[in-house]
Amino acid sequence: MLSSLRVGHFFKHLSRTLISPSSSFTHTYKLFPIIPNLRENHSLIQTIVRRSSTSSDNWTDVSTAPYFSVRIRCRKDGADMLSDALLCFGASSASMDEKDSCESTDEIYISSIFTECQDIGTCISYAADSIGLKERPTYEITKDEQCDWIIKSQESFHPVEITEGLWIVPEWKTPPELKATNIILNPGLAFGTGEHPTTKLCLLLLRSLIKGDEFFLDYGTGSGILGIAALKFGAALSVGVDIDPNAIVCAHMNAALNNIEPGQMQFCVVPTNMVYTFKDGRAYADGDQSPDGLGVLTETEKYDVVIANILLNPLLELAENIIAYAKPGGIVGISGVLTEQLPQIEDRYSEYLEGISVSEIDGWACLSGIKKNTV
Amino acid sequence: MATVSEILAHRPLLATIRLTVPAGAARPAPPVGPALGQYRLNLMAFCKDFNARTQKYKPDTPMAVLITAFKDNTFEFTVRSPSVTWYLKKAAGIESGSGRAGHEVASTLTLKHIYEIAKVKQSDPFCQYMSLESISKSIIGTANTMGITVLKELE
Repeated sequence: MLSSLRVGHFFKHLSRTLISPSSSFTHTYKLFPIIPNLRENHSLIQTIVRRSSTSSDNWTDVSTAPYFSVRIRCRKDGADMLSDALLCFGASSASMDEKDSCESTDEIYISSIFTECQDIGTCISYAADSIGLKERPTYEITKDEQCDWIIKSQESFHPVEITEGLWIVPEWKTPPELKATNIILNPGLAFGTGEHPTTKLCLLLLRSLIKGDEFFLDYGTGSGILGIAALKFGAALSVGVDIDPNAIVCAHMNAALNNIEPGQMQFCVVPTNMVYTFKDGRAYADGDQSPDGLGVLTETEKYDVVIANILLNPLLELAENIIAYAKPGGIVGISGVLTEQLPQIEDRYSEYLEGISVSEIDGWACLSGIKKNTV
Repeated sequence: MATVSEILAHRPLLATIRLTVPAGAARPAPPVGPALGQYRLNLMAFCKDFNARTQKYKPDTPMAVLITAFKDNTFEFTVRSPSVTWYLKKAAGIESGSGRAGHEVASTLTLKHIYEIAKVKQSDPFCQYMSLESISKSIIGTANTMGITVLKELE
């Protein structure tokens, strides 16, 4: 199928399209609602890269900046304290490998990561001093690139069977069951590989709801997995929104990997501080934002199924928004919350939903209900 | 011969990782990305889990995280709220404590501030069995070492 060369190509472009604060970058995403042909995703990504690299060819973007890895040698018995101290004095992280028990030295290496250009030597001195070490421990600095850990974290992604006949398969592996519904994914750095309990809960919910020809809204689309799954189950249209432009790029590529037809899936980046007002069945962006800032999200009461798999706080804040997009009598699914957070969601959403049911896996919960007609 | 933590966890230990991550804002980028990525841990699962568990804290509060990674690529983590000194500095509105504690006063706080801090600290895994009174006493002690005076009420 798709060779590893394509994966490397994707990462090269992804690392250059990661979020940058400059406003010219967010402008590029206005293209998405009117994308004519998803099969041309290759040239699309190139357009984005060309636009963004003109504005952000510097290292102020933390995600693409190189970082420094420092290996510090110290005694085993002071290592925990030194790790804590390093964090207080400027290190981003401090890790220690477990030594194999056959080695008898009493020394251990701490690997520490520093993201900012700072005097690493001074930081280590302060840390050592604060815990009473007489001299600064020996250390070695290496400069690492972002792509190293990105590629390593991808290696932990394997095919997952959600339920009988439904598999999520990484782009670089062959599906174990060719006859099953296989969703091919290259998740990049966006959420949704099928392995997390909340993704499973939402996929199972979708499977039970989609009968054919529905309109589906994936609020917080991440890798686009739910939107793609809905289409594979028979929905007519999937719309995926996210606050992270990275996720939208990812979802686009995944849609192409699954041979989704151009008209079937649309995307939109939603800025986090956007305030909507709803009037006469349409949504309007706040004040000085242009109306097409909302892209595909201008029509309310359009969707038969809406699923939002995000986090407790945004779910509470955006309840009105999420509900507004569902048709009366449509189903709304809420996930990304722990079981202990469920009562807050129930309180907030019971105003708008009836026939509420809850499913749980491993301490994570998914709540679904039917939108009341009187809202 | 297995170590104590390995015996308790029933799994061979790979590494321990310490990080500071803002509450509700874990992303697959530094510091989380490189630190977990180098051990092939599932980044997104950690971010989702961490963000969900820290929803109750004020957004972007720097949380101290300790991750225990096992050889089978699974992991567990505990989250602690920021250090008492961080809360005290924030409450008093100062960048650092007084250089000469006991002689020079950096700032003043009231008992109400201490009580609020103690309430947050009580949800830490290490403080759950302590009474609010004993947590408050310990916080007042820390404040004194930083040169912050604690008064019953602001005059």
